[in-house]
Amino acid sequence: MRLIIIKPKTEFVVTVEAEITPDLAEKNVEEIKRFKVYYGKDRVELGELFEVTKEGDDKKLVLDGDFSRVKWIGCRMSDGEIVVKGNVGANCGAYMAGGKITIEGNADDWLGAEMRDGEIVVKGNAGNLIGCAYYGNATGMSGGKIVIEGNAGNYIGEKMSGGEIEIKGNAGDFIGTEMKGGTIIIHGSCGFVGGDMKAGEIKIGGEFELVPTFVMQEGTWVGDVNVKGEGIVRKL
Amino acid sequence: MHHMLHIKNGIVIDPKNGVKAEKMDIFVKDGKIVEEGEISKNEAKVIDASNKLVVAGGVDMHAHIAGSKINTGRTMRPEEMRVVRLIANKFRTAVGRVLLTSPAIGYEYAKMGYTSAFEAAQPPIGALHTHEELDSIPMVDKAALPVFGNWHFVLKYVAEKDMEKLKAFIAWAIERTKGFGVKVVNPGGVEAWMYGGNVSSLDDQVPGFNVTPREIITSLVKATEELQLNHSVHLHCNRLGVPGNYETTVESIKLVDGIKNDSRQVLHVTHVQFNAYAGDSWRTVASGAEAIAKTVNAMDNVTIDMGQPIFGHATAMTGDAPFQFTLHRLTGSRWSNKDSEIEGGAGIVPIAYLPKNPVHALQWAIGLELGLLTDSDKVVLTTDYPNGGPFTEYPYIMAMLMSKKMREGELERVSPFVQKASNLPAIDVEKSLEEVIHMTRSLPARVLGLPNKGHLGVGADADIAIYDLNPLEVDTSNDFEKIYKAFKTAVYTIKDGNILVKDGEMVDEYWGKTYWVDARGKADMEAIKDDLNEFFSKYYTVELQNYGVEERWLKKPERIVI
Repeated sequence: MRLIIIKPKTEFVVTVEAEITPDLAEKNVEEIKRFKVYYGKDRVELGELFEVTKEGDDKKLVLDGDFSRVKWIGCRMSDGEIVVKGNVGANCGAYMAGGKITIEGNADDWLGAEMRDGEIVVKGNAGNLIGCAYYGNATGMSGGKIVIEGNAGNYIGEKMSGGEIEIKGNAGDFIGTEMKGGTIIIHGSCGFVGGDMKAGEIKIGGEFELVPTFVMQEGTWVGDVNVKGEGIVRKL
Repeated sequence: MHHMLHIKNGIVIDPKNGVKAEKMDIFVKDGKIVEEGEISKNEAKVIDASNKLVVAGGVDMHAHIAGSKINTGRTMRPEEMRVVRLIANKFRTAVGRVLLTSPAIGYEYAKMGYTSAFEAAQPPIGALHTHEELDSIPMVDKAALPVFGNWHFVLKYVAEKDMEKLKAFIAWAIERTKGFGVKVVNPGGVEAWMYGGNVSSLDDQVPGFNVTPREIITSLVKATEELQLNHSVHLHCNRLGVPGNYETTVESIKLVDGIKNDSRQVLHVTHVQFNAYAGDSWRTVASGAEAIAKTVNAMDNVTIDMGQPIFGHATAMTGDAPFQFTLHRLTGSRWSNKDSEIEGGAGIVPIAYLPKNPVHALQWAIGLELGLLTDSDKVVLTTDYPNGGPFTEYPYIMAMLMSKKMREGELERVSPFVQKASNLPAIDVEKSLEEVIHMTRSLPARVLGLPNKGHLGVGADADIAIYDLNPLEVDTSNDFEKIYKAFKTAVYTIKDGNILVKDGEMVDEYWGKTYWVDARGKADMEAIKDDLNEFFSKYYTVELQNYGVEERWLKKPERIVI
């Protein structure tokens, strides 16, 4: 296969902020190595922290190794593909507008935050705040799809307005808070669901705790009546 | 730092001194403008201002730049704090989209050629906090206006018609808060809010006190005039943000009919745009700007400022707590309420002005109508930062006031509601460069009562802005883009004779003065002693002796004794 392979040179002492996207594949190796990233508070070149090899012209990045301390991977990407062979750090796929990210290990918090389109697949577990709005912003995930094969943490799809989040395992508390559209599917169990939900749909396979301000209508719960919401919560 | 400057060959506009775009030199020594003979030419640093506009530094007479309100706004709006303007190096880190951190406020004013900025609503009990924040704003001179219109002492003395005590109390309060003048916010209405209400006219009774907003305003104006404070009463009218409120504004302005002051207005009505709505609901709302402008133009003792909204993000923050709750209910946006004990309150609500939103577009049009229809000698340019938007867009307003062509272009992108609900499309007025310079410099300085500000006459503070604009050549009707760009970043900003900005880049950090007014000599301070003791022991959470701000705590206090 022809692609760009990026490998960490060492174990990182502090977190790295690397807004790398498949757009990098359009550059040559020397240019890629000069791409600026933050290592703690220092602005450094990608090549100082990572080994970079190029095997062709495909718009694809393979991140080979432990990226759990590398944040903002795939941030704002619009096409192409990223495959992370291990774990990935926070804010992966934030503001993403297209393309695909596959994470073979676990993902940290803020996965796909405010993403608009594209696809994220996590083979392992994911942290908190998947597809959420950043603090203070009005709208979270508005399109695209996030699939978590394992379990997820708290705050899933807060202020989400479109797209789909599917969690094959269990999730924590505060699912679909202030949700305005889109779908959340949880195959396992989870905690509090639907607070201030205005629209959209949440489907849950296992046990869950619905906030008390939902009303039962034709086999589904509708609410949150506190905010005149018409969100739907139902059993999968 | 240079102790003498020789600004050569600039084209000077200095409305206060009748200088209309004349090529002349300006001389600076020890932070003041001086005669040519006072400086030694070989020692002075020469600044070549050929073909450039030389004016006094800008004076922002009404902005919310320090205190608990703006800080709560910062706390509740993390999304405002994601824009990094400057990373700490020679200067301090500056952060913020519209709601800026303290250093960013000073830096942005300086880059725009502004050298003074007044905090327009200081909660008295939060005075120390306000001054701590003012002392974190570099580059500009500053001051704060404590709010009086709902303070229990004021309500009591107005009810008792005791002018001597009211005067003594104002003098005491301004000294304790290291304040500059008398700000009045929705008089009586914020006290009514303590019971969940508001007032709806000048003649409503304020709960718990036998007074009306009308009596509060007239008594405070009378007391302020008798004390001869630098600045007049600075009024945020009742019924702000309510359709139909323009009538209350006109009525409030007429309250001072016949009251005279030789050096300045006796009433300044602020951010009038928010108080200039006709109609009886948000569906029938229309502009009431013309009636207000006519009233102001017909009187010789009232000034106003615009409160111009700028499309984009803003944060509504006023001492008008009931209005903020209404706004929260209207927009569904986050809300924070502040209570300052027996002094009043405040509220904060994020807002974004959208050009296609009929009401927002109308507000935008009303601000401009007020700026265009009111005499240039009576209307100051403001955005009521951050209520109407960023002060960094003052150049936009300046350009809009000078160019009908620019307004026509902008009208095309806003809601067509403006066409029927306001007169803006029909207004042909184009202000001159000189008028706009007056509205941003000499006029606010006069309104505030600061004789050394806003002009370039001998003896004035050497606060000078130089812009890349030749007033002898520029066509203000057509070159609006050039005008906007020129006023956005100064070629030079000079503060007290120090060059702070060169070619739009900051070169030096400087700490301006904090003005405060000491009027204690004008009143019988003993008269209120017992009342102070009683109110503080009964109602305040702090002891009288722990209340207020000592002058020595301020970085660079400038006491004005009257």
